[in-house]
Amino acid sequence: MSATLAGRLEAVFKDIRTGADGDARLTVAATPESVLPVLVFLKDSGYGYLQLVSCVDWIERGEMEVVYVLSAYPGGPVETEFESIVLKTRVPRDTPSLDTAIDVFPVAEPYEREIHELFGVHFEGHPRLVPLFLEREYEIPPFRKDFDTREYVEDVFGAVPPVVEESQEP
Amino acid sequence: MDRNQLVKWLEAPAKMSHKYSLHAVYFCTGCGIIEVPPVITARWDAERFGVLPTATPRHANLFLITGYVSVKTLRAIIRTYEQMPEPKYSVGFGSCPINGGMYWDSYNTIKHLDRYLPIDGWIAGCMPRPEAIFVAVTHLWTLIEKDMADGYKRYRRDYAQYRANQERVLGELEWPPLFAAGEDV
Amino acid sequence: MKILWFVISPLAALVVGIIFLGLSRRFMARIQWRYGPPLYQPLIDIMRYFTQKSVSHGAIFDLGVVLSLAGSLVVVLFLPFGGICPLRGSGGLLVILYMMLLAPLGMALAGGEAANPNSSIGISRKFALALGYEVPLLLIVLAVMTRYDSISICEIVAAQRAGLPGIATFPLVLSGFAYLLIMPAVLGLRPFEVVQAPQEISSGPLAELGGRYLALAQIQHALAMFIGISLFVNLMWGGASNPFVFFLKMLVVLAFGLTVNAAFPRLRIEQALRYLWRWPTLIAFVGLVLVVVIGR
Repeated sequence: MSATLAGRLEAVFKDIRTGADGDARLTVAATPESVLPVLVFLKDSGYGYLQLVSCVDWIERGEMEVVYVLSAYPGGPVETEFESIVLKTRVPRDTPSLDTAIDVFPVAEPYEREIHELFGVHFEGHPRLVPLFLEREYEIPPFRKDFDTREYVEDVFGAVPPVVEESQEP
Repeated sequence: MDRNQLVKWLEAPAKMSHKYSLHAVYFCTGCGIIEVPPVITARWDAERFGVLPTATPRHANLFLITGYVSVKTLRAIIRTYEQMPEPKYSVGFGSCPINGGMYWDSYNTIKHLDRYLPIDGWIAGCMPRPEAIFVAVTHLWTLIEKDMADGYKRYRRDYAQYRANQERVLGELEWPPLFAAGEDV
Repeated sequence: MKILWFVISPLAALVVGIIFLGLSRRFMARIQWRYGPPLYQPLIDIMRYFTQKSVSHGAIFDLGVVLSLAGSLVVVLFLPFGGICPLRGSGGLLVILYMMLLAPLGMALAGGEAANPNSSIGISRKFALALGYEVPLLLIVLAVMTRYDSISICEIVAAQRAGLPGIATFPLVLSGFAYLLIMPAVLGLRPFEVVQAPQEISSGPLAELGGRYLALAQIQHALAMFIGISLFVNLMWGGASNPFVFFLKMLVVLAFGLTVNAAFPRLRIEQALRYLWRWPTLIAFVGLVLVVVIGR
């Protein structure tokens, strides 16, 4: 294989940009529609381990950035160039929606649930998008930057009255 | 010897047994549980004091809430506390049960544990040293001796308020009220 | 006069059992390089259990706990304690072997009524373990009964006092060795502590017992330890002429069980069964065959 992974990626997909983050990590910026094909391509290239799916709230730009980190199991069948690949994609912040990565990497199921409950990103095709950690209902998902934690704490937990004991006088 | 003294003399063995046989239910709440294994094993031997960990709340009479209490954990803590036989004592360990501690502005932890469960004493620190557990145990002995460790009696008496606070934070509770309204101590 | 022994013997067994519990905690603590609780700590624990408000899960729950305690108390009446033997000549060893199984049965009733999955797992493990050690135990007891030609345990003790203790005579040394191999299983010590397993199944059958029921269960545990050790001392070590020497012999056996307890982790139930049905059963079987073949 004479071409590098970045070269092969850019040859196949026209609307992505690749960059390098040191020697061991490749960064790939993709559009929301091309995320799944890129994931399939990278999985076939030997990066079969989805380490995590994460999310960043860029409130000034009005975008949510979903981040996939892939790496390869050591001793796999295909020789891999990089230790890890970071794949990023941006969705608009008002109605954030992406296709689920479960068909490619089934391990993405709890990560997508977590991002849905904490950031509000909807994943099309996810079989069970119920809250993973949280019990209460929140108007604004808690990890968004416009969620005011101190105000929430005062409203919900600070308003719980202390237990008043009856007076002990005889 | 008048009647009060006789009652006190007869109750003394029971009180002594409650003091010197404090079995703690091994509920690992948060960060603070890391301080408990050295306490109960050979490093600082708590079995000399009569303090043992037990696996089930039915055998225990001490509940150490050792760290931050998230909303889900509060549900489990209330169920565990209500399963313990009376008389039972609960001690808040670390600064998170006291006033929220490090997580004072968190969206998912409760800030004052004594609004949801009766607490007999607090141990301040983040984390307190294991020696602080022993100081707390000896303080608890003094409180038990003076009949001041009455958390379980307060729970019974003010149960309506405690349950209202619990329902406020947890929403619907799956278990019915433990004590009927207006139950006596 | 005999009625007095009927009352004193279980009480003495209870006191000795509680002393054993306290001694075992102190002994284990010293092995682990720490001080331990005072020797009377189990007494404080039992007093505390009695003064707590307990939760009952139904009538069979109460009856189960009482049945297990009653079973252990009745077995104690049949076992000679030094020179005391209230129920001599009433069936002896066969009744002891039969009644020894009432205690796990009572615990199983109580645990089953508790509707806790941990209790159910604990009960199944308890019966599996009982099945495990009953097989070599039956072979050992058969060998002893054949050697001394009697099912009365008091006669066996008297025969040993007239000659050598059982474990020092030729074919019975194999049975005695097998008995030592299964002793931790009979006493419920590691490596056969799989029934209670506090870290795994929340104390197994005891998971839902609180307050008074736990106090009765602790008392039953004390009596079960007494029964396990005193059966060995009577069958293999010649009993004793007075209770104090008997107590000292029991202390030696307890020390052996506790040192094994301190050194081993916990076996899984299928590993425990595999062990109990292999070497101890084989050695006990060889001992039984030799006793029958060689004669008395």
